[in-house]
Amino acid sequence: MTLPIVDVARTRPWPPRVSSFTKPFWDALAEGRFLTTRGRTSGRLTFPPKPFCPYDWGREIEWVELSGRGKLYSQTVIHAVPAAFAGEAPIRNGIVDLDEGLRVAARILGEPALDAAMECVVLRYTDGPLFAFRGR
Amino acid sequence: MTRRVAVIGGAASPNGKLQTVADAPLQALEHEILAPLVIDAMATAGLPKEEIGALVFAMCRPYTLQKYFATFMANYLRLPLKGTIMEVLGNGMTGGMAFDEAVNAVALGHSDVALALGINMESQANSAEHMMTTMRAVGDVDFHSIFGFTPISWYAMDAVRYMHEFGATRAELASVAVKDRRHAALNPIAQFKKPLTLDEVLGARPIVEPLGLYEVPPRSDGAVCLVVCAEEVAKASARPYALVRGRGFFHEGAHQINEVPNDMTAFVSAQGAAATAYRSAGITAADLDLAELYAPCTIVQVLAGEALGLTPRGKGAAQAAAGETSLGGRIPICTSGGCLSRGHPAYSTGLLTIYELWEQLTHRAGERQVRNARLGAGSCELGNYNAALVHVLEAVA
Repeated sequence: MTLPIVDVARTRPWPPRVSSFTKPFWDALAEGRFLTTRGRTSGRLTFPPKPFCPYDWGREIEWVELSGRGKLYSQTVIHAVPAAFAGEAPIRNGIVDLDEGLRVAARILGEPALDAAMECVVLRYTDGPLFAFRGR
Repeated sequence: MTRRVAVIGGAASPNGKLQTVADAPLQALEHEILAPLVIDAMATAGLPKEEIGALVFAMCRPYTLQKYFATFMANYLRLPLKGTIMEVLGNGMTGGMAFDEAVNAVALGHSDVALALGINMESQANSAEHMMTTMRAVGDVDFHSIFGFTPISWYAMDAVRYMHEFGATRAELASVAVKDRRHAALNPIAQFKKPLTLDEVLGARPIVEPLGLYEVPPRSDGAVCLVVCAEEVAKASARPYALVRGRGFFHEGAHQINEVPNDMTAFVSAQGAAATAYRSAGITAADLDLAELYAPCTIVQVLAGEALGLTPRGKGAAQAAAGETSLGGRIPICTSGGCLSRGHPAYSTGLLTIYELWEQLTHRAGERQVRNARLGAGSCELGNYNAALVHVLEAVA
């Protein structure tokens, strides 16, 4: 399943650091897939992805693809932004509860109502991707 | 060894702008502001400086140039210490942790008298630049900060969810700021004393929607020193004191949001910390005469009040609007004026919480005195109340 991609004609205000472990997440996101990890012994998902399971501390994990679908739990519009985000103000950010039972915070596109059905989209900045959600 | 601990003295600076700009010819120096407060606080306690065996500082903001500020102050004050000296850091909980560690130093017998103190200087910092640091304290640098979440943006999302679920109105939330300003007008150390109307709060420019300028914390400088001691020392002093009756702590093991969807506005850490504090004090929330809550935004005061059992779940905003949490009401909350109007020198705010409880419980609070105040609770927190520290203090005259 490939997520919709929205082009953004500037660089990311505060790009994430990428480690050898998180590189698969960001590489997949650039290709339109939203991944996380699941502990093999616990069977539980976690987000952000981790090189171990935070529930049983098992070291065996697997990468799994998320649907990117969920519901909008809350949101805000931030007018007073950190310096690096001046070019993006005001910013609409929110919290989405994914169908897989994970809570994620991210940029929100449009003006969806609370509890609205949401889908993950890739924001393709000129220097790399970020994820966001919009109503579906 | 553990023993009962009392708050026997205190002093605080006015809150507001104490910090000077970087190129001002005359600089405001932290140690020159804090040292006189130490002397004043010890005078209220009526104890000689030789009794002090421990100093616990709320860590200074990065803008304070003097590093190892604690040991610098021990020299400045000529204080040899047999107990401990440290600077603690726990985001918004910093001041509360400084108090907690000073209490521990006495309870464990490391010292008969300990000071919990701090000075927070940040008012001259550029807000947008300041948030480049604070945004990294309230989220995952690589998965939250990338979107520009600021500390109060999480509280704003609490407000949105709370209004959605419980039908609380903007005016009810905003009434908390009006109430806090009324309280602050009676507090000599408050940053803002000019009366504030509901229309002004509702009409203020938006900062993090739905919260506007008067529903989010100001930038504040402030300094405060508390004197804590073994109860037998307090008894021997023959002065009124506030006994530490209960203490509770809880961290939910989550940073800003729980990755497992939960009831975010329930503030489960505050519920847990309060339950432990009340149990250790042998009281219930209904026994409290007042509460001083760490609440940088109107919504936080409402949610923390509910989590501490001071108002029913979902009714906190409505009860604030109805005056139940005002001075003279059923359970006065933030009689100091709170973060919004007393001021919010963030790393010292938890100390100001205990300072207000001490003033109220020793009947030094003047025009804002809660009549016959006997039991008070104080809270502090970090993140989006992901951790909470609650103390219950009792008046002993």
